[in-house]
Amino acid sequence: MLSQLANASALELAQRPLRAVTSNPARRIGITGAPGAGKSTLLGHLALLRRAKGRLGVLAVDPSSPKTGGAILGDRVRMDELDGASELYIRSLGSRNTSDGLADNLPEMLDAMDDFGFAEVMLETVGVGQVEYAARAQVDTLVLVLLPDSGDTVQAMKAGIMEMADIFVVNKADLSGAQKMAADIQRIAALNHHDPGSWVPPVLLAAASQPASILALSEAIDRHQAWLGTSNRQEILHEQRARYRLRRLLEMRIAQVIAQHDAAFFAAPLAEQLLLTLEMLGRVSVRP
Amino acid sequence: MNTLLQTRPALAGKRILIGKPGLDGHDIGAKIVALTLRNAGAEVIYTGLRRSPLQIAQVAVDEGVDAVGLSILSGSHKELVADVMTQLRELKAADIKVFVGGTIPAEDQLHLRELGVAAIFTADMPLTDVVRILGERLA
Amino acid sequence: MSSNTIAQDAPELRSINRSGIEVPTSVAASAVHPEGIGAPGAYPFTRGIFPDGYQGRLWTVRQYSGFGTAEESNERYKFLLAKGQTGLSVALDLPTQCGFDPTHPMARPEIGKVGVSLSNLSEAEILFRDLDLSQISTSFTINGTAAIIYAMYLAVADKQNVPRSKLTGTLQNDILKEYVARGTWIFPVRPSMRLIADSILYSNDVSPRFNPISIAGAHVRDAGATAAEEMAYTLANGLAYVEELRARGGDVDKFAKRLSFFFYVHMDFFEEIAKFRAGRRLWARMMKERYGVEDPKAQHFRFGVVCGGSSLVAPQPYNNVVRVAVETMAAVFGGAQSIFTCAFDEAFQIPTEFSAELAVRTQQIIAYESGIGRTVDPLGGSYFLEEHTDRMEEKIMQVMGEIDAYGGVIRAIEDGWIQLRLAERGLERKLDTDSGEHVIVGQNHFKKPNEEIKVGEVFKLDPTIAARALEKFQRVLDTRAQSAVDAALAKLAIAAANDRENVMPYLVDCCHAYATVGEMVACLKQEWGEFKEPVNL
Repeated sequence: MLSQLANASALELAQRPLRAVTSNPARRIGITGAPGAGKSTLLGHLALLRRAKGRLGVLAVDPSSPKTGGAILGDRVRMDELDGASELYIRSLGSRNTSDGLADNLPEMLDAMDDFGFAEVMLETVGVGQVEYAARAQVDTLVLVLLPDSGDTVQAMKAGIMEMADIFVVNKADLSGAQKMAADIQRIAALNHHDPGSWVPPVLLAAASQPASILALSEAIDRHQAWLGTSNRQEILHEQRARYRLRRLLEMRIAQVIAQHDAAFFAAPLAEQLLLTLEMLGRVSVRP
Repeated sequence: MNTLLQTRPALAGKRILIGKPGLDGHDIGAKIVALTLRNAGAEVIYTGLRRSPLQIAQVAVDEGVDAVGLSILSGSHKELVADVMTQLRELKAADIKVFVGGTIPAEDQLHLRELGVAAIFTADMPLTDVVRILGERLA
Repeated sequence: MSSNTIAQDAPELRSINRSGIEVPTSVAASAVHPEGIGAPGAYPFTRGIFPDGYQGRLWTVRQYSGFGTAEESNERYKFLLAKGQTGLSVALDLPTQCGFDPTHPMARPEIGKVGVSLSNLSEAEILFRDLDLSQISTSFTINGTAAIIYAMYLAVADKQNVPRSKLTGTLQNDILKEYVARGTWIFPVRPSMRLIADSILYSNDVSPRFNPISIAGAHVRDAGATAAEEMAYTLANGLAYVEELRARGGDVDKFAKRLSFFFYVHMDFFEEIAKFRAGRRLWARMMKERYGVEDPKAQHFRFGVVCGGSSLVAPQPYNNVVRVAVETMAAVFGGAQSIFTCAFDEAFQIPTEFSAELAVRTQQIIAYESGIGRTVDPLGGSYFLEEHTDRMEEKIMQVMGEIDAYGGVIRAIEDGWIQLRLAERGLERKLDTDSGEHVIVGQNHFKKPNEEIKVGEVFKLDPTIAARALEKFQRVLDTRAQSAVDAALAKLAIAAANDRENVMPYLVDCCHAYATVGEMVACLKQEWGEFKEPVNL
């Protein structure tokens, strides 16, 4: 089922039967951060804790090679502690054609997880920058995992950092510099003015070897989930998701159409190229 | 024709699990094959060392793979391959193709083929052949 | 291509060796700087650790000694000893190497396959039955559970009333390369380092003639590392052990005398000779300059080699005889202390009596007919070799520098950085071999049309071994005093939790109580956890 979804073209997706909105959608927790930040291991420990809260699924996205489309999907090995937890479902995804670090048809796959009756879905994505913005809308709670020595990253995203994540985790807290890193993020957070009732992202220190730190992270997620219920944030997220999905479907369709053009096509004046392409895009109803 | 037209990679869109069943710790062959299949366009899930046949079959099913490649150099290929295939059948996933890599004696190669193994790759086989054979079997 | 005829096939001579060093067409005399080389037996030991080379003592000729049960191996050892051999080599099966008892579900298909199952002291008692441990030297290819197997060996000696101080032999006991290339790790890197340091320090005290570690580059080499990387990784690992030993209170002047090394020899003749000369010089220099070691014995870089390995191929198998001979000469010119020559058919079957004998004869011919071992470092002073040794040294230092820049060998392994580098190298070597750029006569050049390559049995598979091992194992569980086992394991757990204790005496006590390898490992895992393999591809 997920394989079919993952491989579906934009038109196939658009033509899927209308789906009744699930009355009980899965909680969506995103874990994102740079390669090597220890996301998978952290997620593994977190999942062990959180599987008591109902059926848990994990979708882990790894980058695909832009050249061949191939990918090594290694996240599940890093979630070793989940081995033998048979009630737990892990699915590795290549980012395939997306340029934002999410996987092709991810929104549809997340919906499918709702339909399958999962209580919670954890989404792991790689990268710093664009992927956070893309992942942002797909999940209810976004956890950004940083390493003690990723100070440059923090500087680089200073401006938008508070919008980026709901929870910050400085991982591998046993390494030197972790405290300072956490303090830096706190400081940047303090620069932002907060309205009463708004969510103030906590900055946590974590290490896979320290169970208490994982528990604290899990509790922070719960607090954020509870806060969501009291705010209008969910509505905003739903709208963002709808926008993302439409844009994604269009982008996929555009990529498909452009791939059909040959070299001769691009010899034509740009205006003509554009018109012809738009016309082809509009010709969807005749295609199966 | 358009000279810039890219040829579609041989294993584009295929999902392949590379597994190390049992205790054998020599993983360079498995890793070389994993990298090669990735370069040929496949999405490769590598299990890491010391997986039980049940774990490998379970992951293959969860991940919806087209094929499972098992790397075994400890001489335990007969038992381990048979176990993985049994587990796949029990999980109603007998359609997932199984490939084996390693130092497999000629006699055992025959035996593994009878079990239903789709192809056997030995260390001296050129990687282009590995990709080509996989592409044919998974077409 | 089978249409290739010998006349048509003319591969190019590559001017860059696999370590990435440009090999000059000719070298000027001015390239040699005699002052940095030193005399044989003198610091920095470029030309060997002994002034009299092999005239003083020939290298140790090591022999294949087979697998099977403890009973069969014991018979085989008695036979070899009767024939005058003094060194035994013990290979262990994978469950013993990975710390699983034979009853563990993961162990079942692997019992007794690649070596003996030494699940508890009673098996070791059978293995060494009627052998005088004070008279033989035993070498154990064991890493993850090396400390336990060493404890078991001490316990057998105790039982035989042989003083521990008389024991000689070698433990491989090199966990770092297991994480990278061989895969029999158990605990996370840091507690593993402690376990190794504990075993080395304990061995230095109670069995000072025993070599408690053999730091091995062989496995990374066979997996794809270049000669320079093989040496660089090994020296970096060696330094990591030195650091750990010092941190645990070891005296470098003492323990460094008992460190030894282990490498592969592949086919690029001068690359190999230069690798050994450069490695020996670098080690001595690091011992002296970094740690202030003054005793020459503690500066010595002693090493054993295997000739063959992945440089041997199945097509035209007799070519391998020539390869092993060339590699053995490289080992001799490099100044190896012990040499193991692979049988020419090892790449595709269990060596026959014939091929195993030929492998030993190869060494004897080189030792006694060729005369190349008469003079110490006979190639020393060669413009090319000295220059090449310098280039190799630079390359080794460059690779070591890259590891340092990453954050050291331990972090590089924990993160999977070295593993990834190695996998990429392995792929590179395979592609070069596939393309024929890396020439292997008979395989990718000068092929015999329609040669049929038949792979035979690579491991002796006796279906009754597992059943017998399980039966014996159960008998031990039924007859031992459980309370003594529980007490010994409880003490081991306390020692493991206390970083300032040495766990070795507790392991020996566990062995005496017939605690099993699986039980001891489980007890230590409880305290230390398990290694998590970083898969970064």
